[in-house]
Amino acid sequence: MIRKFSYLILASAILLVANSARAQLVGFPDPHLLTTMPMGAQQGATVEVAITGQHLEDVTQLIFSDPKITAKPVIGENGKPVENKFVVSVSKDAPIGIHDARVISRLGVSSPRAFTVGTMKEIACTEPRDSKEKAAAISVNSITNAVMPKRAIDHYSFPAQKGKRYAIECAAVGIDSKLTPVVIVADAEGRDLLVNRTGGVIDFQPDADGTYMIKVNDLTYQGSDRHFYRLALQEVSADGLPPRHPSTAKVSAASWPPPGLSEKAKSQEVEPNDEADRAQKITLPCDIAGSFYPAADVDTFEFTAKKDEVWWVEVASERMGHATDPFVLVQGVTEKDGKKTLVDVAELYDIASPLKVSSNGYSYDGPPYDIGSPDVLGKVEIKEDGVYRLQVRDLFGGTRNEPSNEYRLVVRKEQPDFAIAAWAVHMTLRNGDRAAFSKPLALRTGDATVLEVLAIRRDGFAGDIDLKMEDLPKGVQATGLKIPAGKSVGHIVITADANAKPDFALASITGSAKIDGKMVTRPCRLATMEWPVKDAKQEIPAPRLVNSMPVSVSDSEAAPLSFFAAEEKVWEVTEGEKLTIPLKAVWREDFTGTSIKMKAHGVGFDRLAPFEFPLKAESYDVELDLATLKTKPGEYDLAFYGGGVAKYRYNPKGVARATAAKTKAESEAAAAAESAKKLTAEVTKAAPEKKAEAEAAAKAATEKQKLADAAKAEAEKHLAAVTKEAAPKDRVDILVSKPIRIVVKPKAEEAEKAVAQATPKK
Amino acid sequence: MLSFLTSAKASMHPSRFLLGTVSTLSLLAPNFVFSEEDEELNFVHDVVPILTKAHCNSGACHAKADVGQRGFRLSLLGFEPQEDYEHIVKEAKGRRVFPNAPEQSLFLLKATNTVPHGGGNKLARGSEEYKTLVKWIGQGMPYADESDPELTAIELEPSRMTMAKKAKQQLKVTAKYSDGSERDVTELALYEANDKAMATAGEKGLVETSDLPGNVAVMVRYSGKVSVFSVSIPLGAPVENLPATSNFVDELVFQNLKEIGVPPSPVSDDATFLRRVTLDIAGRLPTIEEAAAFAADTNTDKRDRVIDALLDSPDYADYFANKWATLLKNRRESKADITANFAFHSWVRDSLLANKPYDQFVREILAATGTIVENPPVAWYKRVKLPEQQLEDVAQLFLGVRMQCAQCHHHPFERWSQGDYYSLAAFFSQVGRKPTAIAGEDLIFHKRGTAQYVNKKTEQPVKPAGLGGPSLEVAPDDDPRLQLADWMAEESNPFFAKVLVNRYWKHFFKKGLVEPEDDLRDTNPPTNPELLDALAKHFIESDFDLKEAIRVIVSSKTYQLSAQPNEHNAVDHQNFSHFYPKRLQAEVLLDAVDCLTGATTSFADLPMGTRAVALPDNSYNSSAFLKVFGRPDAASVCECERVQSSSLAQSLHLMNSSEVKGKLATAGGRADRLAKSEEEDAKKIHEIYLAAFSRPPTGEELSIAESHINIPRTDSAGKPIAPATAKKMAYEDLLWAIMNTKEFLYNH
Repeated sequence: MIRKFSYLILASAILLVANSARAQLVGFPDPHLLTTMPMGAQQGATVEVAITGQHLEDVTQLIFSDPKITAKPVIGENGKPVENKFVVSVSKDAPIGIHDARVISRLGVSSPRAFTVGTMKEIACTEPRDSKEKAAAISVNSITNAVMPKRAIDHYSFPAQKGKRYAIECAAVGIDSKLTPVVIVADAEGRDLLVNRTGGVIDFQPDADGTYMIKVNDLTYQGSDRHFYRLALQEVSADGLPPRHPSTAKVSAASWPPPGLSEKAKSQEVEPNDEADRAQKITLPCDIAGSFYPAADVDTFEFTAKKDEVWWVEVASERMGHATDPFVLVQGVTEKDGKKTLVDVAELYDIASPLKVSSNGYSYDGPPYDIGSPDVLGKVEIKEDGVYRLQVRDLFGGTRNEPSNEYRLVVRKEQPDFAIAAWAVHMTLRNGDRAAFSKPLALRTGDATVLEVLAIRRDGFAGDIDLKMEDLPKGVQATGLKIPAGKSVGHIVITADANAKPDFALASITGSAKIDGKMVTRPCRLATMEWPVKDAKQEIPAPRLVNSMPVSVSDSEAAPLSFFAAEEKVWEVTEGEKLTIPLKAVWREDFTGTSIKMKAHGVGFDRLAPFEFPLKAESYDVELDLATLKTKPGEYDLAFYGGGVAKYRYNPKGVARATAAKTKAESEAAAAAESAKKLTAEVTKAAPEKKAEAEAAAKAATEKQKLADAAKAEAEKHLAAVTKEAAPKDRVDILVSKPIRIVVKPKAEEAEKAVAQATPKK
Repeated sequence: MLSFLTSAKASMHPSRFLLGTVSTLSLLAPNFVFSEEDEELNFVHDVVPILTKAHCNSGACHAKADVGQRGFRLSLLGFEPQEDYEHIVKEAKGRRVFPNAPEQSLFLLKATNTVPHGGGNKLARGSEEYKTLVKWIGQGMPYADESDPELTAIELEPSRMTMAKKAKQQLKVTAKYSDGSERDVTELALYEANDKAMATAGEKGLVETSDLPGNVAVMVRYSGKVSVFSVSIPLGAPVENLPATSNFVDELVFQNLKEIGVPPSPVSDDATFLRRVTLDIAGRLPTIEEAAAFAADTNTDKRDRVIDALLDSPDYADYFANKWATLLKNRRESKADITANFAFHSWVRDSLLANKPYDQFVREILAATGTIVENPPVAWYKRVKLPEQQLEDVAQLFLGVRMQCAQCHHHPFERWSQGDYYSLAAFFSQVGRKPTAIAGEDLIFHKRGTAQYVNKKTEQPVKPAGLGGPSLEVAPDDDPRLQLADWMAEESNPFFAKVLVNRYWKHFFKKGLVEPEDDLRDTNPPTNPELLDALAKHFIESDFDLKEAIRVIVSSKTYQLSAQPNEHNAVDHQNFSHFYPKRLQAEVLLDAVDCLTGATTSFADLPMGTRAVALPDNSYNSSAFLKVFGRPDAASVCECERVQSSSLAQSLHLMNSSEVKGKLATAGGRADRLAKSEEEDAKKIHEIYLAAFSRPPTGEELSIAESHINIPRTDSAGKPIAPATAKKMAYEDLLWAIMNTKEFLYNH
């Protein structure tokens, strides 16, 4: 039997409880690591790193996407770990570049934050430096980690010599910061000499020896602890492009490079191929590196091709991290009476996103992740033997003179393949809240969460792509719902057992497909938003790829609601008949409304009418009428889902702990007060020669009492805060059932016919 | 009589067919009998000029856009005679004309106000014009014969002359036709002087000069043709003791002054020069240290060195970015514009700081692609969205040509037609847009395809063409905007360099060589054409070096002349015989007040200490100070949006506003500091004068100030005020008085 999977199309999710959506928070709280200070370290260094975050309690570990970076909690004077501080050790051979830092906390693994490993020494600058008089002195060949205050210009001074070349860059956008950096090199008096506001490198060659100044600010002078940056100042060689600080990868980069492509291009563009009649002669296939330089550069290549040949053209530039929009034009060249005529054969534009990308308005209208790219991927069909010209240009390049805007042009015979990337699904809501996009894979017990998986199909590959998620923590399962032939969207449903114990693992997702008779498997990149965005209109969500895929399960809280079929089995049904699935629910929090409207999505089942699962009901029989649904024989994975508004309580266990801590602090304070009172009284009674001693003891006791009172006040404050947080609040989220597998068998006569056909006639 | 029915042109005039059936009505036309010898009139040559002269087809009357007046529509100034003919003769079932009784034509009854006419009496019964129209109607409203000659030009006599003050000169206008024939059209032509304070032109072509010396032009229009009568009005005073010239600017200005007999004032003193040039280049007052150092400097080239230092300073970039960002409409329309506006303003500022060649600066705006954060000039395309707006802004801002009129009709004062208009629009026809993650912000790219734009008049697509240039064949792959930028930067481009140097000239001299500064046209000639040409040539030869364009102006003796007029040149307001004092712009004045008082103005989202001239967009105009003093809202490409005239509100604001009072009383400000200082008062007064005027006080000023400071002060109850408080009040008073002087409020 041909096995088929149905799939979820959660992107087209229903409008959840629209009328009350405005007042609700979106998504159940997830742990987020928001800042680290510093934001990187030198190879071989050991540094103390302070972290901040959201929904982080009981942080036990700071982990990195590369095992060559490790961390241990800072141990305080009292021998206990200091909250939110770690000693990070970077081995000498840790890879240079961006790594993801995450923490493990009460709710599990957090969202990532970029952490850079480099070769230069690093300093963290925390002193005020908002005027030229307060400029912080920095040395050449160093990285300064700092945080930008609001309405400020940070000033640094450094020595520079005539005849030397310095590269100055402020890394911010590529390391998850909210800062849009402006970097200015000024003279010793602070008079501006060179400016960069577009995230590039300042190439500085001073006219004279002396002290110079670097000024850094945000483009619109925003500032906060989330506006962090790394200022790189280094002396560089006289030739070539200055080195760049590494950057996180855009989501579009998931489709680059194609499998098997060598790291370096086989050949290089050769100018003056920007003059049409001096086109660079090439033979196909080809793999050429070039750059969109100077402004309005058009690189032309000329080749011969035969009738009926089909060539696939792929250009990467934006996916390599450049702000470019490549375009390819292929033209046939005919020559008559010595005059050449060009006839358009193909115009190749962007790699389209398979899903509509969000407009980031108040209403949610699609994911803000774009696996598509302004880069080029398309085919050229040759209709007749002849000479052809291929032009590559940057549609953004008319006036921009950036030698660093490189591209790679690959022209090949058809090599069907695919690339995939995944992210957390969101729901149709109208309050601009996009926080759910940055949620880490931190499951509660009994939880179910869904990833959307998108494919970029290469060179006409149209077959099924099976999805699989492996290396999960104990008590966690994942079901990959395939990307069907001809489509580009699939899903993975990840569920945690209700009785799972806390665990954590680095998981992986792969897609497998049969291409030209062979099974190929490709890794899936995971994407996230850099920040939990509360209002997409005010703050544009910034998506990026992450470097690892950690999954955790926590028993600190259970999922407010779990749905699952009454029996864990493969449900069988005959084509055209009815199948009733008793769907069970476990309610762990109060929900608003009277029912949860649920749908079944997936090939063969997407026409099932929505049904209402009554609130607090333990079970509901879902009837699948295959005659109506016209589901063909095959094997399907199906999930039900809907949206619900829970009266969610954040960390109620924390209230009990805080209450106990307060009680303890109160009793310690009372004891300290009693002791101080007693010792103070003893001072008057003390013999003259013991008076000083008694006074010292009384003073010490009074100090201790003050500390105990402060601790008591702190405990009270903490209890008030956690009590407030634990008060029930409306939170809306997607509620997903455990996947259900259904086998649809052919009708008896069909089966007999099939058997008859298969049986050789005597 | 002409045989209407056998006329070759009869088919053009349907109303003529009515004649046979209403022949009895011919009795109603007794006044005019046409003989066969009467030459048949030509609608274009004979009728339209009468309508134009009578203002029937002015924009306010029947040529009002799209609607005309009470259902009767004419083309503006008769630029579309075919349409006018249709409207007069055929529209409204032909009821406007009555060939059998021409004088009973509604067309004439209205024009003569015989029947009530909203426009009143535009045509005297019995006048020559009236008779012509009657005759034309009587002839059966002939349009024109294909063989009729075309009007090729109009000729003026005289076309250029020197006139005395309060003199008169009658012009003669001759129309020239393609067959070589001529016609005196003096009575039918229209006349308009470009500076009515200097000369007026009467309806019949009589030009009268006033008592102001200088150059004035009278535009003469007839039937779509324009010509100019250029008049030089000398003062006739002896021009002696001219300062030694610094460069060609002086040579050409002084040559003109000699020609018109206007002696220049002497070169200004050092203090005045330093204050003037610092305000004009850096938009700020010189510091006390700068003023003192300049006074003490004995080098002969110190003026040139201070010019170079100012041009190299970021203050220059800030000040001129303020000018350009406003003209480029860097306007805050919603909160979310902040990033785009800050980015674009900064880009302008950084370009000026780096002294990016002007042609490159304009090129990067016109042909911007990508997103705003990555390529800030893309922001221009956020504000200016449609090709029509784009071409109009580009034409006015970078070419000094106002094309708005030509969208709907032929330009009334210019040679530009709708074809020219849409040819310019075609450069912007391939601007592709894609939405970005930021609402309302598109990314811009070149959309492959044939660059062309549909002429709304002809409904035919037109190819891109620079003004007055040939149509360009732009390959589908090539961004036509780059070709527009190429065309602009051509050495032979008659507009691009001129409008910039004229704009900058006006910045420094208050008055452009052409006024308005962005209205360069044949009919609005410069007051000193040789100078404008030379400045433009110099600018082109310097590879569009903006700092050099400024340097050549401010290093001239002309710029450095005293603002104090001599006995002859006070009347001169266009020949630069002395410096014309200018009110400080709103932003400059606010910075100057802060500088004088030691206060700091806090601007939202900007670091403390940000100068008002460095504000990125118009959102800061919520400041009462900036609003009252006329900071523009960046809604147009015209510098005229900045209000530079004085008002009562301005005076009151400086004298009484809590804002200014607060600045005077700033803790740690100048008054506070000086009051607490142990220095002698004379030294402190010296500091104040240096800060405000870049000069020390005169003996008289010093003694007045000293005595004011030492007057015993009492409160409202008559009780003496504590000495420390009294001293602070005294210094606040002194600063207040100085701030309200013309010497402080003006650049002079």
